[in-house]
Amino acid sequence: MIRVLVTGQLKDLTAGAREVDVDFANDLDGVVQKLELAFPGIGRKIVDDQGRIRRYVNIFVNSENSRTLAGEKTRVKDGDVVHILPSVAGG
Amino acid sequence: MSSKREKMCLLVGTRKGSFVFTSGRNRKEWKVSGPHLKGHEVYHMAYDRRNGHILASMISNHWGPTIARSKDMGSEWKESKSPPKFPKSSGLSVARLWQIRPGSDDEPGVVYAGVEPACLFKSTDGGESWRVNEALMNHRTRKKWTPGGGGLCLHTILSNPRRPRRMHIAISSVGTLRTDDDGASWKFQNKDVLADFYPNKYPEFGQCVHKLASTPSRPDLIYHQNHCGVYRSDDAGENWVDIRNNLPSRFGFPVAADANDPKRAYVAPLEGDFSRIPPGGRFAVWGTDNSGKEWFQLDDGIPAVSYYTVLREGMVSDEEDPCGLYFGTTTGQLFASRNQGQNWAKVADGLPPILSVSVSSA
Repeated sequence: MIRVLVTGQLKDLTAGAREVDVDFANDLDGVVQKLELAFPGIGRKIVDDQGRIRRYVNIFVNSENSRTLAGEKTRVKDGDVVHILPSVAGG
Repeated sequence: MSSKREKMCLLVGTRKGSFVFTSGRNRKEWKVSGPHLKGHEVYHMAYDRRNGHILASMISNHWGPTIARSKDMGSEWKESKSPPKFPKSSGLSVARLWQIRPGSDDEPGVVYAGVEPACLFKSTDGGESWRVNEALMNHRTRKKWTPGGGGLCLHTILSNPRRPRRMHIAISSVGTLRTDDDGASWKFQNKDVLADFYPNKYPEFGQCVHKLASTPSRPDLIYHQNHCGVYRSDDAGENWVDIRNNLPSRFGFPVAADANDPKRAYVAPLEGDFSRIPPGGRFAVWGTDNSGKEWFQLDDGIPAVSYYTVLREGMVSDEEDPCGLYFGTTTGQLFASRNQGQNWAKVADGLPPILSVSVSSA
């Protein structure tokens, strides 16, 4: 099981839940696809039409920013914690 | 919906949400609600007279572009279940949504949206789901299209009530295209339109069209504000005539047509490409009542010092008689005229930067 923590506007799409579980995925791309199946509309908030993580969205895997890993192809495994957060923009 | 339209609604999209202004048909006093859609840049809004819904094209810097609809004049909004999205095989991704345009009365549920990178999307379910126009997405010249300063955006959609399969679109900086087969094919319509930033000054495409305007009563008469001039076509874009004449500048962004008098049109000149301020530091709408042979300044009620910026979607005309005009500025002023621009009154001040203004009876 992979635990996914969401915040901001994404919570509106998970019926207010801040934590949701994804049963299995190989990478973040798979996590987003599973989220989309469970909560239609959430995927396009996180990735663009080509499946790339949006510029001002950060996805952390066990507190490591996926941008410093392999982006949407970052591998995930059972027990990982994935944070999806809006990035700081401006300021 | 009642066929008797007793109200006017003025829809204002800003960088920080949207505002809905309503008035009686006399357009004297406006009530405002908003901001709606907070946290979004609202590029364009449209009132759909067929069902009384308001449509908005917008973007969240974090969560991307989408389309929202309101069935109650802005109190509650719902996002499209499946907003415009390019197929993965295209390699393209919607960066912004620009103009949103309801279809004609005899095609209920049809809505069009122009996007960046330039393409057209169509919905047949009132904006809930969208399908890309493949002919435009796969256009033979697409690889040579280059963006203008505002991005490679499809910013204008003109439908034709008399010929439902005909439509004009405008893309910066690609030019004007027309379909006569409901979007199955697109033909450039840039004849005699200057593009003096290219070695070939009159190319097949590449013209920096800033805005087109027509009216339902004369859809084949099109006024055209371009980067390099002001034009008119009397034959649905087949030929363009330069109508700059005595305008203080060939450069500007918005253009509006008068629904009651085809010889009347309105533009908002700027000094020029490299000095995008109103001539002399005073914003003015310029109007013509003889199809562009002569232009006159319409600035009564506009401050003498007014370095306003009005974006391409920031000025519109209504379909009342006499024609009403409206413009919104990037410094948050909203002006209205009930008499073809002869006098202007400030409707609101201090709004966020205004990206778009649209108007309809409701």
